[in-house]
Amino acid sequence: MAENNSAAQNYSAAGRPPRVEAAALSAAFVTAIRRAGLATSPDRAARLAEALHLIPPNQLEQLYWTCRVVLVSAREQVPLFDAVFAAVFRGSAGTAQPGSAARPAVQTPPDPGPRTRPAAPGTRKVGTAPGTRQHPFVASPGRDSSAEGRPADREAVLAMVSADEHLHEASFAELSADEVGDVRRLAAALQLATPLRLSRRTRTSAHSTASLDVRATVRAARRSGTDAPLLLYARRREQRRKLVLLCDVSGSMEPYARVFVSLLQGAVTGAGAEAFVFSTRLTRLTRQLALRDPDQALARAAVSAPDWASGTRIAEGLRRFVDEHGRRGLARGAVVVVFSDGWACEDPEQVAAQMARLRRLAHRIIWVNPRKAAPQYQPLVGGMAAALPYCDAFVSGHSYRALAELAAAIRGDGPQSGQGHGRARGKEPAHAN
Amino acid sequence: MTTAARAGAEEDVRRRVPDVGSLMAALDRTNYLADVGLATALFLAVRLPQPILLEGEAGVGKTEAAKALAELLDTPLYRLQCYEGIDAGEALYEWNHQRQLLGIRLAEVRDTEVTETDLFAPQYLLRRPLLQALEHSGPRPAVLLLDEIDRADAEFEAFTFELLAESAVTIPELGTIRATHPPIVILTSNRTRDLHDALTRRCLYHWIDYPGPARIAEIVRRRVPASSGPLALQAAAVITRLRTLDLAKPPGISEAIDWVSALAVLGVERIDPGITEQTWGSIVKNRDDLELVGSRGAAWLVDGTDG
Repeated sequence: MAENNSAAQNYSAAGRPPRVEAAALSAAFVTAIRRAGLATSPDRAARLAEALHLIPPNQLEQLYWTCRVVLVSAREQVPLFDAVFAAVFRGSAGTAQPGSAARPAVQTPPDPGPRTRPAAPGTRKVGTAPGTRQHPFVASPGRDSSAEGRPADREAVLAMVSADEHLHEASFAELSADEVGDVRRLAAALQLATPLRLSRRTRTSAHSTASLDVRATVRAARRSGTDAPLLLYARRREQRRKLVLLCDVSGSMEPYARVFVSLLQGAVTGAGAEAFVFSTRLTRLTRQLALRDPDQALARAAVSAPDWASGTRIAEGLRRFVDEHGRRGLARGAVVVVFSDGWACEDPEQVAAQMARLRRLAHRIIWVNPRKAAPQYQPLVGGMAAALPYCDAFVSGHSYRALAELAAAIRGDGPQSGQGHGRARGKEPAHAN
Repeated sequence: MTTAARAGAEEDVRRRVPDVGSLMAALDRTNYLADVGLATALFLAVRLPQPILLEGEAGVGKTEAAKALAELLDTPLYRLQCYEGIDAGEALYEWNHQRQLLGIRLAEVRDTEVTETDLFAPQYLLRRPLLQALEHSGPRPAVLLLDEIDRADAEFEAFTFELLAESAVTIPELGTIRATHPPIVILTSNRTRDLHDALTRRCLYHWIDYPGPARIAEIVRRRVPASSGPLALQAAAVITRLRTLDLAKPPGISEAIDWVSALAVLGVERIDPGITEQTWGSIVKNRDDLELVGSRGAAWLVDGTDG
């Protein structure tokens, strides 16, 4: 432990360091931070140097806060920052050398934490062999148009014409890897639109409404210079409701999740939706999926959600969503779509309680369960049965055609089957064969 | 690198806030208790040209921090509460059309001449917080608080930042107004949406942690003079214990202050389970939470024992 915080002690011994050293220190520390996977930029290093000049780092705590305020830009980054800071300045890597504050930073190995840089998407995509254990949505070779020179408008044709009829009808679970690639592209291109609501903003209108727009009327009168002005009214604009997609990526959903995540990606880039995935924990993927290049977006998403294909905790996922995002405004008045088969190893009452909370926030809840497509399906699984009374629509979404049904449900003109299924809950199970 | 709105702090400000320690002491004098992290963040916000983004749970004192900073610098605080659909007319300026019209009518009645320049004079300009902060005449820069920036649309966020980076605004009828003392900008966010990268890149950042019971007690004592020593400490312990439960809306510092104020009004000097049950309305504000807390019992909350 003798050489542990030699970098910090070095400063306290030297008193107020000259500016040059502050610059070297910040450059080196910013490099270490970047190697560990935190996004930084050169101007941050300059800002840190300036800050260190204002607050001489003669105490480790003071140095910590100065660096953190300048370099961290979200709470999620704090643990990683702390780890790098500890490695560099508190010497947990043990490589600090007296006389050179800059060197340990450069020598520090990258933090092997969960947020290390994702591998280049290209390598991920190419190195996928059938049978290899991989993240579900990078598991199938994404035959993107650039690789094969397939004309882009062919996709549109695929979606319209019945040449690939079987792709439209086939359940996602039965598709080959190539076909999954096709369907994923189709799914990402689906246009999702939520119902309209009145916004607070208004638009000037010549047709009479309840509220006269005094300002607009006066402005118009001033322009025309007449005493009998044209009356202008304020008409409230219409705005699309927010769309929130929650996708279950647990083991039982794996064959479907690879397509659903493409749908999520299309919705995030095309319809400004918010996307989350959950299995044992909840991960917000909006940012990762917001890239235009789908392969890159999916690769980034795969790295960000560490719990692919593990167990399911629907109630916990919903609870985390409502607590951390929904209540704060994300779910208020929104259309919330849950993709899950409802298979969970938890108390159905918990699911019901969380669905009730979500119900109070959301405008509509749509549940997508691919297992609904099976002819003898009855929503008897504990979690599913508990959640159904709170859903406005219940669709299968197991094939491309079924996804169109989902799009209709999101628009608000789909089958309103929520109530029916709510009642079906109490019925005797159908004859099992 | 974007050009900075402010070159750095002015001489007067530097004299008032020479280092982090003195800022902490000054915040303390305004009855705002800041830890060294927050004090460092505010110090850098004052002394560096960048705005600061404060995040934290509801009720940890993000807005209060801005108020305290304005108070200790003895400078006005301009607060812009953001909401969905806020636009430039509500944030920056607007012409007072009704008053202009009145001016014309008055001129007609009095038979005086009124020209266009008269009508677009500064007295007909409705100044909104952003313009007020830019126009502030000094001697020290104003504090501009953009509260809950995450509620505003992304376009508004971009517009605001453009304006702050320029530190100037052009009003077609009046010309360009350039800030003589560019404001110290504090943004707060409740994380209802991810802020744009361009914004986070330009800002300093600080996450305000929820304080421990001793600090809560100290804050409560400062805010509610009527609360005697043990009352504040007891209340802080109850609030801290409440926060260990899995509540939908965990009580914050403002709830602690409200609750102790309520207890002070009721003339309570020592918290017991009975009085806690009577006054739950000040701290637990959700029916599910109330049921959860009820199942643990007030005795547990007060003494930490199941009774």
